[in-house]
Amino acid sequence: MTVARWGDVATYAVLAVLGAFFALPFLWLISLAVRTPAEVYLGASRFIPQAPTLDNFRLILSDPAFLIYLWNGLKLSASGGLVAVALAIPAAYAASRLNFRGKQAILVGILAVQMISPLVILLPLYRWMVALGLLNSDLAVIAVYGALGMPLAVWLLKVTFDGVPIELEEAAAIDGASRFTTLWRITLPLARPGIASAFILAMVMNWSQFLIPFILLERDGDWPISVAIFNFAGATNASTTQVLAAACIIAVLPAVMVFVALQRMIVSALMAGAVKG
Amino acid sequence: MKKTLFLAAAASALPVMGTAQDLVMRTRVGLADAPNTLTFRLTAYDLYSSDPATKAAFEALFTDFITARPDWKIETQLQTGNIGQEQARLLQQTQAGRGPDCAMIDSSQLALFKDNGVLKPMNDVFSDAEVADLFPFVRDAVTDADGNVLAWWWFTDLRVLYRDTSVVPDAPQTWEDLKSAALSAVEQGREGILFNGGRWEGTAFDWLANVWAQDATLVDDNGAPVFASGENREKVLTAIAYYQDLVDSGAAPARVTSITDYDSFNAAAAAGSAAMFIGGNWQYGQLRNTLPPKTFANWAVSEIPGPTADQRATGTGGWTIAALTDDPAKASLCGEIAKEIYAGPGNAAQGLLPTSAAIYDQYDTYDGPEYDLFSAALQNGVARPGAAIYPELSNQIQIMLGDVLSGTATPEAALDTADAAVQAAFDRQ
Amino acid sequence: MTIINRTTDRGPAPGDGHPLPWLVPAIAILAAFYAVPVLDVLRLAFSDASLLAPASRYSTDAIGGVLADPALPVVLGTTLVFTLANVAALQLAGLCIALVIARGERRGLRGMAAFRTLVLAAWVVPGIANGLVWQMLFDEAPYGTLNSLLGYVGLGPVAWLSDPQMAMASAVIANLWQGTAFSMIVFYAARRAIDPTLYEVAELDAATPWQMFRYITLPLMRRLIAVNTVLVTVQTLNTFDSILALTGGGPGRATEVLALFTFNTVFYNLDLAGGSVLAVLLFAIGMGCALLVHYVIGRERPAA
Repeated sequence: MTVARWGDVATYAVLAVLGAFFALPFLWLISLAVRTPAEVYLGASRFIPQAPTLDNFRLILSDPAFLIYLWNGLKLSASGGLVAVALAIPAAYAASRLNFRGKQAILVGILAVQMISPLVILLPLYRWMVALGLLNSDLAVIAVYGALGMPLAVWLLKVTFDGVPIELEEAAAIDGASRFTTLWRITLPLARPGIASAFILAMVMNWSQFLIPFILLERDGDWPISVAIFNFAGATNASTTQVLAAACIIAVLPAVMVFVALQRMIVSALMAGAVKG
Repeated sequence: MKKTLFLAAAASALPVMGTAQDLVMRTRVGLADAPNTLTFRLTAYDLYSSDPATKAAFEALFTDFITARPDWKIETQLQTGNIGQEQARLLQQTQAGRGPDCAMIDSSQLALFKDNGVLKPMNDVFSDAEVADLFPFVRDAVTDADGNVLAWWWFTDLRVLYRDTSVVPDAPQTWEDLKSAALSAVEQGREGILFNGGRWEGTAFDWLANVWAQDATLVDDNGAPVFASGENREKVLTAIAYYQDLVDSGAAPARVTSITDYDSFNAAAAAGSAAMFIGGNWQYGQLRNTLPPKTFANWAVSEIPGPTADQRATGTGGWTIAALTDDPAKASLCGEIAKEIYAGPGNAAQGLLPTSAAIYDQYDTYDGPEYDLFSAALQNGVARPGAAIYPELSNQIQIMLGDVLSGTATPEAALDTADAAVQAAFDRQ
Repeated sequence: MTIINRTTDRGPAPGDGHPLPWLVPAIAILAAFYAVPVLDVLRLAFSDASLLAPASRYSTDAIGGVLADPALPVVLGTTLVFTLANVAALQLAGLCIALVIARGERRGLRGMAAFRTLVLAAWVVPGIANGLVWQMLFDEAPYGTLNSLLGYVGLGPVAWLSDPQMAMASAVIANLWQGTAFSMIVFYAARRAIDPTLYEVAELDAATPWQMFRYITLPLMRRLIAVNTVLVTVQTLNTFDSILALTGGGPGRATEVLALFTFNTVFYNLDLAGGSVLAVLLFAIGMGCALLVHYVIGRERPAA
């Protein structure tokens, strides 16, 4: 018992150190976000502003464009995540359940896509989308997000499917169910936590994407927040750092809320699935 | 989750930004049914600034402008503060025939646009007298050999020496003055002199003032790099040695190689930790807004010191507006935006430096004594060379200074490396 | 999941069945959106294209030019250090946090979800904010945050960003702050998936926490650690925005990694051909790392 108590103390000690490391930058961001323009230039020399203000948040939230940027960001990253997972499920299932020649090669090939940084194919991608007539359409960004997030999702889901006991599927097969039915009725429900994780990972990576939407969406009304945030990054004669900081905080919030909401889903799904052993 | 959905629903349900009576909207200036349309790509620094005062001033200017031209509407496109990529994209789009009719182009990129022949004359809008009244470096940059006005450089900026007169009473005129003033400030517990030394454009550009002060040239008439050959080489090495000596002697702290923005200087001034810094003219207003009046009264600006008191130079930047359309009516409207909104009242509203002497007399904004110093210093203004190799040249200068100031390389070796890299890049252009 | 073929035969035996219908959706979208741009990059690598002018002729000049660039070995060395340090740090931190949180949850300790959310929040902070904030933390001015904190305990000052070696360490720290979340999620999920009865049995045998980690947790997570190594390596190799915001690659070239070098080549130098060569190189290195890890874990087959 005492050993466990000491363990708890150690747990909190580790968390305190790591917590300080992860929280400090946020504290700075908040410190900047509540400053008046005059105090922004004090930089690191004053942590707690003398005249804290919420004006910066007010300014941003009163700008209707900001909410549209947020919505664009949510729409693009969630759709991209969905596409990635939808494409990954059959591929991961095949990788997990089927033996076929060239399986390794195909898996490695899919993973190779993950190695292609958007930076690498930026300009050819732009020209290709122009040729396809998809420039300035959400579809282009969503498809690229789907392609970009898919390899990771395939690998995560393959590991998840590997963990679903094959005996369950065999039982279903004896009852005459097709592979598709087995996947839909048996495997996918058991793989829920893996699917949720894959979706969240894909979505969050999309959320902070800058290059792809920047290059594929030219109209500022279409921009997601990750691109539009640069609008707050400067002025020729007045400081807007405080506004930028406030914008960053607000931009992080939706993603954090998604985390909070979906994390519980994962945990409970994991617990439900823990029976499988 | 519910909250997220609510936010999203609220956002999508919002009307298309702005009310019907408003002539200035997020994507348009003027009435939706106006027969003629000009597309204008601008920065987020003025009409759509997140600084409320600036935004209000420009909304009023644009409203007046469009009210006087009821047949027109301006469709606005925002460019982000990510200047390098934005300007590359603008050029790409224009070459592909997808660009806006009128756009803001950073003065450092103007030569690139000019060389690629995408800029269209706006001669009708600007009289010969107005062109003649431009500062020489501005006039050269915006006109071509035939005298066409290809862009309007509507404001400029420059670098000056800021000093805390309670520590450094007299303005240092030469490099030697600067070093001894800095060293005596160090003895009083201050950081002597701060300047940009990190890996960014500001480092190269601010330092180049010391090269230009010696009348060295970076590129020849064909745009080929010559900064490391002939007599330029000695001058460049002298300027490197000057910076190196400032750091080695302790006149400048070693941390200058980590400074990658001008705001660091404001912070140092506010904390009272630095005695002098090389900064931009726009920082004067920032300091006035930041420092307590008594402290601010101690700060003064002067020209950047030169190798001798007579050899001075300062780097000048700023933004231009240029027409990218073949339609002469649209090109004219583009010029009128530059002339009637930005160059005069727009500059005055923001306290930016106009590019022709006449405007300084026209507005009260420019009555302050600092503007006398700025306009005097502009006589020694040098713009970035209008050559396509400049960005890479700047990149290599940043690396060179970083390596020398952090003690990684000797000036000669660093210069040779930079020269080889710039030549290789030039050969492939 | 719309394109899945229904096979209406008697139901499949495990292990056989045609893979193609399952793979078609994934491969189709990759082919539609990626194949042409990727081939285009290869074409450009053999061209003389710049950002402003299309390719006019084809040769190996760009490849030769890039490979002969004296900066390339420096950049590759920097990339190696940055990647190795990050992969090690990201995984250690991720594993440590995942295990600590998993333990805390088992013990019903409070604050675990909040801590996890904090780490995840760092992940979604826009890159520009990352640079803004870490520059302030690392500020070496007399009033800089970290140096002031160190000063209270009689340490420092540290030349966080102005010293070439230290700047590399600082870039790793800033990247660690933002990137740990990914490894944490992966490891957390893996840890939760381990059958708790294994630990209960071990506890009955009076195993120490270290023994349980060494003989239960680590072996069972081994495959996932390997997969995660590949993913994190690739992510790190492609990282450039956080460095760009923090040091710009400086002082000198001290923190200029290959991805940033590629970015600079295209956007400073406007050299599309050279940038494409570097892009292919970046891809080849990522692929090489992946195959290496694949080979190393491929040798031991998991028994299950």
